[in-house]
Formats: sequence, C-alpha cells, structure tokens
Amino acid sequence: MTQQQQHQARLAFIGGGNMAEAILGGLLACGYPLSQCVVSEPVVARCQFLQSKYPGLQTLSGPHANQTAVNGSKTASDTAALINDSSLQVNPTAASAEFSPAEIVILAVKPQVLRPVLVDLAPVLKARHPLIISIAAGIDTGAIARFMIEGLPSSTATTDAKSLPPVIRVMPNTPALVLEGAAGLYATADATEEHRRAAESLMAAVSKQVSWVETESLIDTVTGISGSGPAYFFLMMEAMEDAGVALGMDRETAKALTIQTCLGAAKMAQSSEDDLKTLRVKVTSPQGTTDAAIKAFEAGGFRELVQKGVIAADARSRTLARELGGSKL
Amino acid sequence: MTLQSRLAFIGGGNMAEAILGGLLACGYPLSQCVVSEPLKSRCEFLHSKYPGLQVLSGSQANQLAVNGSTSPKRTATMISEGSVNLNPTAASTSFAPAEVVILAVKPQVLKTVVHDLRQVLQTRQPLIISIAAGIETRTIAKFIAEGTTLKPRDLPPVIRVMPNTPSLVNEGATGMYATSDATDDQRHVAESLMAAVSKQVSWVDNEAMIDTVTGISGSGPAYFFLMMEAMEEAAVRLGLDRKTAKALTIQTCLGAAKMAQSSQDDLETLRVKVTSPNGTTDAAIKTFENGGFRELVYEGVKAANMRSKSLAVELGGKELSTKL
Repeated sequence: MTQQQQHQARLAFIGGGNMAEAILGGLLACGYPLSQCVVSEPVVARCQFLQSKYPGLQTLSGPHANQTAVNGSKTASDTAALINDSSLQVNPTAASAEFSPAEIVILAVKPQVLRPVLVDLAPVLKARHPLIISIAAGIDTGAIARFMIEGLPSSTATTDAKSLPPVIRVMPNTPALVLEGAAGLYATADATEEHRRAAESLMAAVSKQVSWVETESLIDTVTGISGSGPAYFFLMMEAMEDAGVALGMDRETAKALTIQTCLGAAKMAQSSEDDLKTLRVKVTSPQGTTDAAIKAFEAGGFRELVQKGVIAADARSRTLARELGGSKL
Repeated sequence: MTLQSRLAFIGGGNMAEAILGGLLACGYPLSQCVVSEPLKSRCEFLHSKYPGLQVLSGSQANQLAVNGSTSPKRTATMISEGSVNLNPTAASTSFAPAEVVILAVKPQVLKTVVHDLRQVLQTRQPLIISIAAGIETRTIAKFIAEGTTLKPRDLPPVIRVMPNTPSLVNEGATGMYATSDATDDQRHVAESLMAAVSKQVSWVDNEAMIDTVTGISGSGPAYFFLMMEAMEEAAVRLGLDRKTAKALTIQTCLGAAKMAQSSQDDLETLRVKVTSPNGTTDAAIKTFENGGFRELVYEGVKAANMRSKSLAVELGGKELSTKL
C-alpha cells in the first residue's frame, strides 16, 4: 500500500519511549507526514529529545497530554487554555497548535502503567472509537478491554464491551528503527479487514517481516523470538567479538567481521529455499574448522540453552500478562 | 593487473562458487574466468548454472587453467588424448594464462595440487590467492619450491584469504594476509576481488590471526544457522507454525546485525539499551548468562581456531606453537 494511495491516518503515540520512537522514526523515514503524528510523553526531557530529533513533531506532556493526543484539539485557543492551567505542555516549534482526533492510537507505554493510562483514557477512547494498536508486552486484548471498561461509568458497563474500540496487539522489535523490524500481530474478532490492513501497513513501513497469529497466546511466543530476539544476537555477537579479542585479534576487526558474519548468515537464510539445518550442514565440511566449532556447541548444549532462553522470554510474557492484566493463565 | 584480470579457480567447490558467483553477479567478465574441477558432475552443475563458463576437468586441467592455451590445436590434442575435458559450450577453447590463481581445493589435497603445478607457477608467476583453511603461506611457498633451486624471491607471491559462504549473496566477511613480497598492487587486486563479494574485508598483520578469522567469520555463518535453528525449534514447540517461526527468527537476526552495523554503540550497549529490567528480554538474557552462553561461544570459536592451526600442522609440516 503506497503512501499516495491511502489517506494518512492521524496517529497518536501514547508513550514516547524506545519502541514508540522506533515505529515513529521508521514511519517518518518512509515519508509518513509528520503533521499527522502526535506523541504524548510524560518525561519532558524525552519530549525535548524527540523534538530535537524530529523537528516540528507535536509532542505533548502533562496531566492532560494523553487525552489531548486522542481527542485532538479543535482550536489554538483550546490548546492555549490547557497550557495555561499547566495540564499540557506542547512542542513550541510544532507545526500546529490545533490537530484532529486520533484515528489510530498506539499504546506504547510500559506494561506496568498501561492500566491507569487506559482507565484515564477510556471515555475519550469510547467517544472517538479509534483503532487501538497496543505494543505493550504481556498485556492481552482481554485485559485492555477490561481496563477500558474500568474507566467508564458503571451504569453503561454491560453495553460497553460491544462499543469499545477494536484492539490489535502487536509485538514489534527495535530493528524497526532501521526499518528492519520483525513483527507479530493479533487482532480481536471485532477488528475489520480494514483495521487489520491499517495495522499491517503501519508495521510494514518499519518491518521486513510481518506475521499474523491466529491465537493470542502465540504473541508471547513471538515475544520470545523476535520481540526480545535482537538482544540474543547482540549477546552472541558480543561473545564472538570477545572470543576474537581473547585469541589475539584487535577489537575493531573482531567486531566488524562478527557483525558482517551475522548479517551474511541471515541474508543467506532469507534468500535460500533450504531450511536452517540444511544451510548449516552444507557449510560444515566433515573434520573441518566449522565442524570443530559446531561439535563444541552441540557438546556444550548450545541448542538447549538457546531454546531455554526463548522459553524464558515466552514464560515471562505470560507471567506479565497474569501480573498486569489479571488474565486467566 | 586489474579487476579484469584473468582468473583461474583451482577447485570448483562451495567456496570457489561463492566467489565466482559473486564476481559474475557484479559484472565480472565470464570470459576471463576458468574453473578447474575434477568431479564431472560438479563441472556440469557449474556450466549449467553459469552458461558459457569455461570449466575444465581431467589430469591436465589444473595445468591448462594456469598456463592457458593459445593454440586450439594443442587444446584439441589434450582433449583427444583424454587429459582434459572442456565445457563444450564455453566461449572459447583458447585462453590466456592466469594472472590470478585462486587455490580453492580442500586443504588435504593442496600439497599434491601445488606440486603438480610447480613448474607452471614458477614460469607464469601469477598472483596466488589461497582460500584453503589451515594452510600457511610459507607452506604453499615450500610446496612450490620443493625439489627446485628456486629462491624465495623467485616464487610467486601468496595472499591467504579466509572468506565465508555469504559471499554467494555478496555479503561476505573476509580476512586477508599477504606475505611481505606481495606488492601494493597485488594486495589491491586481492582486496578488490574479495570486496566484490564481501561487505567487510579486513587485513591482518600476522598470519596467526587468519586462524582467528576462521573461528569468527570463516566458520561463523554456521554458528548463526545453529542459533536460528534452535530459536525456530523453540518457537515451534511453543505452538508457532514453522513458517512464521522461521521467518521471524531470520529477520530478527538480520535486524540485529543491521542495527549493530549502523550504530556507534558497542554490542554490550546495544543489548543493554533494549533490555528493560525484569522484562521478557531480561528473562532470556539472564537464562543465557546463567547457562554459560558466553563461555560456550568462546569454546566454539576457539575450537575452529584450534582446528585451523592443527590443520596447518597436519598439512604443512609446521610445528604447532605451544602458545595459543
């Protein structure tokens, strides 16, 4: 879906941390209009960082920031009033002091604070009915719905579940910042095809691999491989670089060769029909140097250790869901 | 000597194909390449994959590849006496002597191959580029000089290269070592050849470092294949379909490498920045650290490094140094 063919939905990022920046930055690099983006972020220093990195970006902080990001601000004087009573700080160099309600709300706060954020935003989310895209690890769509209901007047609770905005849960990863993300997505049944397409297009702007999962519990597994996975490869590369240095190589050369080896292996895997085992066997001459290394890895339980790590991340994702969402495990 | 130099590949296996294929994909003239390969079926594979490529096999194939043949008649004689088989669809049956000889045979047979080529290497004095794991430049020089009265300065220069198989997709990582008699021009040619198929080319100052390059980038792709295989398998066991598990894993590996390449940060900092305390990443990393991941990786790299050194002992008659 090209940028020209589609109206550029108004995006509100609730939370301006690493992952939000990864997605925002990737979108802007792809030509997404800056003027259609707003970021609500409580830490003023972080807002300033974002403003300096993306000049003209509308960043909001203060007690009313989330609400304003979702609800929009119809007139400059509405915005001014909020600023005057200190419930809002804006980017003074942003394109405009008036902006439309969000069509897509990206929940990018740390999982631990998502509940109070949603409770606070519930009325305006219900009123505006944007597509909600959550990237919070470990918070399932059921919990998100419950938190919204919690924030609505109890007299309307029974009808509210049906009138809540649709939620699409996304597990992206930080290579989105260099437009090389891997993302898993799950949509609740009330998300339409158009919603799914919108979420997919958004993530595809910053990810080279976007995969839908059919059941929500698989998002925990996606967390275990691609969500947290970049760090596993950073650790692997760090260990290889250190090994090179321990064996006498200068660090700069060890680092450069290691990183390119990681990249080359991934490129080979992507461009080949072969499965990963076959790829490995094909480059492992019996009794050669590669064979010696692989035998050492196998003898040392490398495979099992890697799997253990993935399982640990998956399990932590499920535990987080229990701790933070009150979901049935 | 330029980047259009006449190249002779002695051996047409995986690595030779990686380099040849990468060069051709970059526009290197096919007519300037010849491959000598003993296995007929391998020859057939190469000339079906690279139509028009001159591929030789037979007892005189190596000689012909290095020496060239300016006389189609002479070539025809060799064919009819069975000492060489050519690719019948190759561009030409006459070709110039090699300016660059790429030794791409398995380390175990290099001695025999070089012995057989002694005379023609001494006569033609090509630049010799060896990609054979574990064979030192002085060993190659010894094989060339053996049984002759040649002085070291009369021998062709040797540049030892440790490439890796992602060269086949032009994403190689390569370490290189040149003997002191290699000129700047020759170093430049070797580097240009490898740069056509590698995104990282690093010279090392002492030859012992080539064993370390072997342990990191030479054999390294397999380490990442193993890691990705383990991650894919873990995901499948947790319920993800294999296709999705594979695709997400591979792109994660690629994304991590791209981030590392485009960042000023060192690898530890990159990792720490994406590891929120008590989060999912933290849980995985703690598991790795507690399980001795780093030490295990060191053991693997070291094993490849040691195998490279012991190959040098086995194949070159070098004394194994007692210090690692």
